[in-house]
Amino acid sequence: MTFSRNPDSDKATSHEREYLEMAFSPSSGPLRSRWRNNGLSADFLGDYVATFMPSNDGGAVLEKQQSRIKHAVAYIANELLENAMKYHQRDVDIPVRIDLELTGDHITVSVSNGASQSQAQNYAKFVEQLRAGDASELFLQQQEKSAKCDEAEVSCVGLLTMIIDYDALMDWRFEVHPVQRESMIVTTSAVLLLDNILGASA
Amino acid sequence: MKNIQGESFEVRLEPDNSTVLFKGALRLSGTEDYAPILNMLKETLINPAAPIVLDLRELNFLNSSGITMLSRFVIEARDRSGIYLMFLASEAVPWHARSLKNLQRLMPSLSISLS
Repeated sequence: MTFSRNPDSDKATSHEREYLEMAFSPSSGPLRSRWRNNGLSADFLGDYVATFMPSNDGGAVLEKQQSRIKHAVAYIANELLENAMKYHQRDVDIPVRIDLELTGDHITVSVSNGASQSQAQNYAKFVEQLRAGDASELFLQQQEKSAKCDEAEVSCVGLLTMIIDYDALMDWRFEVHPVQRESMIVTTSAVLLLDNILGASA
Repeated sequence: MKNIQGESFEVRLEPDNSTVLFKGALRLSGTEDYAPILNMLKETLINPAAPIVLDLRELNFLNSSGITMLSRFVIEARDRSGIYLMFLASEAVPWHARSLKNLQRLMPSLSISLS
């Protein structure tokens, strides 16, 4: 785990950044026993970010805003980690990494994992669909599909809810692993604009 | 009274078979793990009261697999006639107001009471 911050300031401004990085070895235990760690790590990231948000002098409104930010980061980190743990390539030793970056006006949560070429292609196809379509409509379609088919594990609802419910701006990177050339590193990033979260009417 | 408990959550079907109470943080890993909770919810549809109430006020966290589980229940309730479904939600829990609205789009008659 790595922490980095400007020691002279108690609050991030647009010129300063806070970082936090964590890496997991996803093949070191069965999925079920690792699952609990997703929630723990995500809650930790939420709490970590909240430390830098304006509230210590604060009234109820600021506390509510702090709670929104904390929840948004915890939700997004949890969903990205769940996806990475579910879909990472099991037979290669590529860690799942989560990076948090906080600036004066936005928070970025990025998660990367190793994937086979075919898994990466399937994900890239969904990403294309997401970029071309309307997230709210896709969400409704996925939920109707899920209700009709008991077996189906509906994919990517987590990504859709990040966009719809938290106004997250999403970006994706697909790179060939520098050493294990048959594997890809897939990175999903969610950017939360602080004005959007703090200004949310809900 | 029926009860499903995990390390971080509790879901309880009240003796009237029409109110289901959720507490804590639900982050189960997918359809299979959510099946017992979905089945408990579906018990309210056997002799449906008016309204069927899902009390979510103390459910602080629900992952997207849990949202899908709620969607499945909402769609099943919608597709039967004469079901009156109500969610009790809290303004103090950040995800309630934003995420529950999406379920209303699946079932426009779904009533959400935010307090």
